[in-house]
Amino acid sequence: MSQSTPNHAQNSFVSSFAPDATPRKLHLARQTSSQSSATLILPNNRVAIPLHNSCDDVIPKIEDIMESIIDAVNDGVELVIPFRSTRPAQAIRSTAPSEREGRQSDCIKFPGRTIQEAKKFGINPTHLHLQHSTMAHDSPLWIYLLEALFRILELSHEALLSGNLITKRNIYYQNIVLFKSQSVVDELVDSLAFTLGVGRGDLNIVASAKGLITGSIELSMRDGSTVHCGLSRDSGILLPSINSIDTIDFGCTKWLLVIEKEATFRTLAASQYAANSRAGQGILVTAKGFPDLATRRFLHAVQAVRPQLLIFALVDFDPHGIAILRTYKNGSCRLEHEEHVTVPAMRWLGIRSRDIGPFSCRRDDQGSQSTSGQCSQDLSSQESATYSYGGSQSERPSKRLRTYKARDLSESITSLTQGDRKKAVQVMNEISAAGNIGAVEREQMKELKRMLMLNIKAEIQAVDNYGDITNWLNEKLCSA
Amino acid sequence: MSKQYLTTHTVDQAHATEIYSVAPTRSAIFSASGSSALQIHSTIKPTFPLQQTLPNAHRLGCHHVCTARGGLGNVAASVGFGGEIKLWTRKEDKDVNNQWELWWEIPPVKSNGGDVWAVALSADEAYLACTTSDGRIHVWDLVGRERIQTYETGGGNSNTGGGGSFAMAVDLSRDGKFTATGHESGAVYVFNNDAGRLVYSLSGLAKPVRAVAFSPGCKRLAATGNAGVIAIYDMEHGEHVSNLSASSDRPAWITSVDWNDTGEYLLSGSLDGKVKVWDVARGVCVATHSETEGALWAVRWLPKNEQALAPGMGKGEMFCAAGANKSLTFYREATGM
Repeated sequence: MSQSTPNHAQNSFVSSFAPDATPRKLHLARQTSSQSSATLILPNNRVAIPLHNSCDDVIPKIEDIMESIIDAVNDGVELVIPFRSTRPAQAIRSTAPSEREGRQSDCIKFPGRTIQEAKKFGINPTHLHLQHSTMAHDSPLWIYLLEALFRILELSHEALLSGNLITKRNIYYQNIVLFKSQSVVDELVDSLAFTLGVGRGDLNIVASAKGLITGSIELSMRDGSTVHCGLSRDSGILLPSINSIDTIDFGCTKWLLVIEKEATFRTLAASQYAANSRAGQGILVTAKGFPDLATRRFLHAVQAVRPQLLIFALVDFDPHGIAILRTYKNGSCRLEHEEHVTVPAMRWLGIRSRDIGPFSCRRDDQGSQSTSGQCSQDLSSQESATYSYGGSQSERPSKRLRTYKARDLSESITSLTQGDRKKAVQVMNEISAAGNIGAVEREQMKELKRMLMLNIKAEIQAVDNYGDITNWLNEKLCSA
Repeated sequence: MSKQYLTTHTVDQAHATEIYSVAPTRSAIFSASGSSALQIHSTIKPTFPLQQTLPNAHRLGCHHVCTARGGLGNVAASVGFGGEIKLWTRKEDKDVNNQWELWWEIPPVKSNGGDVWAVALSADEAYLACTTSDGRIHVWDLVGRERIQTYETGGGNSNTGGGGSFAMAVDLSRDGKFTATGHESGAVYVFNNDAGRLVYSLSGLAKPVRAVAFSPGCKRLAATGNAGVIAIYDMEHGEHVSNLSASSDRPAWITSVDWNDTGEYLLSGSLDGKVKVWDVARGVCVATHSETEGALWAVRWLPKNEQALAPGMGKGEMFCAAGANKSLTFYREATGM
């Protein structure tokens, strides 16, 4: 095992066990800086981001594990580590989604000698491209796991001591031969964090930046640099890790909109919507689909330091859209152990059933009773009259919106797949299992059921035939 | 000639969530919603009081509930969003009037087939037809508690089946002869139950079909949905007879349709909140009511009752409409007072 460990890592490993003084001093300094910045109120809408640091606990824990691994290898004894996986112990399918108690939490012999034990680590043997027979009988798998875990511990330890962040992608590239696939790293890192009872970020391990942000705000980084989020014209900038941000100058932004779809984000960013919205200046963020931890941490921190900023979510009208919304608001099942990642105050801007064709086209005719077959003739003529206003969109945005909706939007509405229907039921089960059903949850349930009842879904663009959602957004943000 | 219908009573907030389905018997009406309980309201008392609640019927809520059209009213079936079907039966008990209880239950399909959707009971209350989201129709013998027939509408192979267009609606003719289904593809299929095979494949709507209903005499089939048009088919030769439609450029999606006892009138409810009564012979809408709050998911005529109604209930034909406003609204024909 030691043969496969690169030399420089070996050195850093040794050095970290040498005099205790250096690391301790380091995080003592961090501790004070975070405490002082948390209470610091800065002028001009500049808000300090407090550091959430529990490395006090983490470094000794990591050192303990590494030490026991070394001891075990040296003495040739079996290793027992209380290691827990973020995956339910049994195959996920066989247990009801409501049973979250399935998480493995017992002491297991590390590393596992069987595929079952490997699975407790969240390692899917198929990721490893190893021969099935080899794993069942011999030791390569557990040696492999030991190496992989040791390597991650080492890198995390190094990162914590130096105060730098390391990405999961980077870990993988440190030793592609060893890790074999990114997913092995991802699973091991999350399982390690879960075992140590900390968040992934507490290990100074982060996912590669995925989120994008645009808007008139300024981020002052801990390394002294400054990032203006409004400068990059059409694409937005990659969202930096919240741990690397020292202060944020929110300027006069009033709202923050998280958009599920990158394409929609880019369209709005290109048109400078964050600066030009009728609802005032704002911030646009996307995590390009399912949210990553970095984006969720950022939003959580923003909500904590800037409670007056309204945070909205714009997701597709489909079961995945609601799952994404719920992940932002309430967190995800798999990464339940992560802290400082939820945004409970996030509001659901859309899109909902009432924003799309079948429900929005409701016409109010005058009397409650009309006695002939020509019930809505007068209204259709009214509509066509409104429709001819096409040129003066900006003057009559709400009218225009109505008119557009009244036109046939069936192209932007599609049928649910069997998978979508299963997902809808799964999300409903999750909502029901989480308990605490309030108005927000009831609304989510209602929308999921409407999807199922009509067997339809719609993408964000469905609110307008031409894919231009700015008028719709103006209306929604202003009335929110 | 128009007809006058009056709102005779509204049970406000009959459920805590949207009502998706209603099913009448001769003396009561079942309603199903996003909530876990089914409610049964009396239809023979002027205040339409709550007669019974079936608590925890469907944990995630219930999208379909049905009774037999023209049946005795001793059996009801309901389908939950979790995919489970529950069969309810009325207890014969002189002391406790009209108490319903769980008879038996069909658990969700474990295989990879589509989830169970619409249901219909035969007039003799011995058979249940249920559709699936992958286009199948299962027929259950309720007494024998077994599946006796599966109609396939998809191109799936003979072992696995499925692969068909979502069967959103189903009805059984009162004479027991036919099963009709309405599909998302716009197709309407009619099966002969005795021969166990497809007899008519009816086209014409092109858009998703959300409701199908046989006339009481079993001579006609009404089908409707996103097209906003009610298509009438003849069951003797499988011909398209007529269309009932409002003259609107973009009619709302119709979610529910029902024949009255004489087969002269059709009732329809749509997502724009309108409930309409159609004169089938003349092909015109004779009455329109607008619900004040949102979509309608279910409209049903109440069967004629031999029992004397309570004083003040009148003799006119009644119907019930329910949907997004969570209330049950009862209407009565104004003539015949």
